[in-house]
Amino acid sequence: MDWECCWSRDEIAPEECPYIGEGEEDLYGSQRRRVVEKCIECPRFKNDLTRLKGAGDPLADVLPFILTEYLEQKAQMGSMLGFLNSRTSEIKFLREVSLVLQTSIDLDEVLSIAMTAITAGKGFGMNRALLLMTDKERRNIRGYLGVGPKDYEEAWRTWDDIGRRNFTLKELAKNFQKTGLNSEKEKFHDILGQLTVPLADHGHIFNRALHGKKPILVENALNNPDLDRGLARILGVDCFLVMPLISRNRRIGVIIADNCITHKPITLQDMQSLETFAFPVAFALERASLYERLQEEVAKQKAANLKLREQQELIAKMEKMALVGKITSSIAHSIRNPLMVIGGFARTLLKGSAENDEKRSYLESIVRETRQLEDVLSEVLDYSESLFPVMDFWDLNELITTSLVDLAGTLEQSGTICLSELSPELPMVRIDYKQISYCLKTIISTALASMEQGGELRVESLLDGDGVLLRISDSGNSLSEKAQEALTAPFFQTQEMGAGVGLSLCKTILERQGNSLSIVGRAGGGNVYSIRLLTRKENL
Amino acid sequence: MAKLLIVDDEANIRLLYAQELSDEGYEVVTASSALEAVEKLEGSSFDLVVLDIKLKNESGIELLQRIVKDRHGLPVILCTAFSCYKDDFSAWLADGYVVKSSDMQELKDEIKRVLAKKQIKV
Repeated sequence: MDWECCWSRDEIAPEECPYIGEGEEDLYGSQRRRVVEKCIECPRFKNDLTRLKGAGDPLADVLPFILTEYLEQKAQMGSMLGFLNSRTSEIKFLREVSLVLQTSIDLDEVLSIAMTAITAGKGFGMNRALLLMTDKERRNIRGYLGVGPKDYEEAWRTWDDIGRRNFTLKELAKNFQKTGLNSEKEKFHDILGQLTVPLADHGHIFNRALHGKKPILVENALNNPDLDRGLARILGVDCFLVMPLISRNRRIGVIIADNCITHKPITLQDMQSLETFAFPVAFALERASLYERLQEEVAKQKAANLKLREQQELIAKMEKMALVGKITSSIAHSIRNPLMVIGGFARTLLKGSAENDEKRSYLESIVRETRQLEDVLSEVLDYSESLFPVMDFWDLNELITTSLVDLAGTLEQSGTICLSELSPELPMVRIDYKQISYCLKTIISTALASMEQGGELRVESLLDGDGVLLRISDSGNSLSEKAQEALTAPFFQTQEMGAGVGLSLCKTILERQGNSLSIVGRAGGGNVYSIRLLTRKENL
Repeated sequence: MAKLLIVDDEANIRLLYAQELSDEGYEVVTASSALEAVEKLEGSSFDLVVLDIKLKNESGIELLQRIVKDRHGLPVILCTAFSCYKDDFSAWLADGYVVKSSDMQELKDEIKRVLAKKQIKV
């Protein structure tokens, strides 16, 4: 019999079968493969079978059953293969994402990978994903991050952009972390803000998903009696998926995923795939959150260590202070007492001596020199104390007022009018109260010395940038440059200022604490002493 | 006439105090140690005590605490070579604080101020 189809021949020529295409040339020489792959579905083969039946061949009745069964099996195999391929690529994708998630401890990186994987076409391809996380107090579940386009226009622009760049998922996530994370948080701020739900609200769909440890696919949300319609209105979709994130029985949060732009139905397979994905995400989120908390604790520990070190330094300093204190005490005791006796008795003798007694001038010398020695001793002891300031925040105006009250008698005796102008809105200054009080009193004493006939003394406090200015102005004789030099050199002597360490000590004290002292002699008479004090803690 | 008790372990300083404060019209009694001071306080009544902080092997501050406790209302002025105790809270119990100086005017003024506060006539 002459057959229409080539099924009976070992080898055929190319023009004999129109169904063999390019790349399938090896079928020309392989009868077995040709029959299985081509002839079985060829119309010519069906004609040949009809002819066979016409010829009364009994096989012609049986062969169609076998062929139909074979084709059905083949289609089923094809479908299973497609399913297996899709699962294989999904597993491959999950493995890739899980590997990245396993190695990441940065919360932002974990979030970027997770949210990109859900929304990217190369991932699960959902239009939008919203992440809600349990708060630190474990009282509420709160909107944390949203990813996806808000409208068609943005969707088209984003997807077109992603399509053109052909990024891998990892690159997409990295890019998102770098440029999109904050803007997406901002973009979904209004929606996220409305998604706070107490964990105690057991009937809420989020808590139901968390409690059941299973995703919930919500369909027909606006008319679903089991669902709060408000949620559907906030989300603006009728169909969405609520995916619980649970790690070792800890409720980490939920992911809401939907197709708000394309309105493509969410399939059971989408749900299963996302469920598989939720495990590594929850674990990674928990680990990253724990790491973040650990970092916070480490920072606290570091701060505590720093504080401890400061305290240790302070103790060491106090030990030194105690030593210096002992030395200065010893000096004070062993010098001041004899000086008091010498000078005191000289004064007693001077009081009792006759006006014309020639020994009177000797006694006067003893009194004067003793007094000077006592002054120098006081200044040396003050200097020793100034080596170890006790810094704290103080109200400068209170310090000025107290110092002026202490000096009230001296000011009155000198016939000086004292005016104070204190700014009411000064920040606290970080100073050693005693030392700054000493500086102010020393400057006022110096100012009074320059106003032999009395005059006007003005004490002002005012804000000066990031510091506070304490300004003392007198109406006495302007100090010469030489006198101003005395500031920097202890025991430097000038006619105007006498000898001593007073102002130089003030300058040393102030500069050591990061503050400053300047003196300006005004052309028309008078001097301005300016102390600038820092308000920050950074000063020494 | 106000009666003062001077407590100082330096004989010359006690002598100087006695001289200067007698000239001011006070009746002056001196003691060289805390023990002697307590004995004298028990034996007689005083209007004011001028007390040194560093006594030989004793603390003037402890004596101050004892006076405040046992003789409530008896004013005490600390007169010492150390300026640092002025800000020490243990010295706050005293009614006055003067750093020792060959010019005793400050001490005299302080005695007058404290006695006036206690309304004791010189």
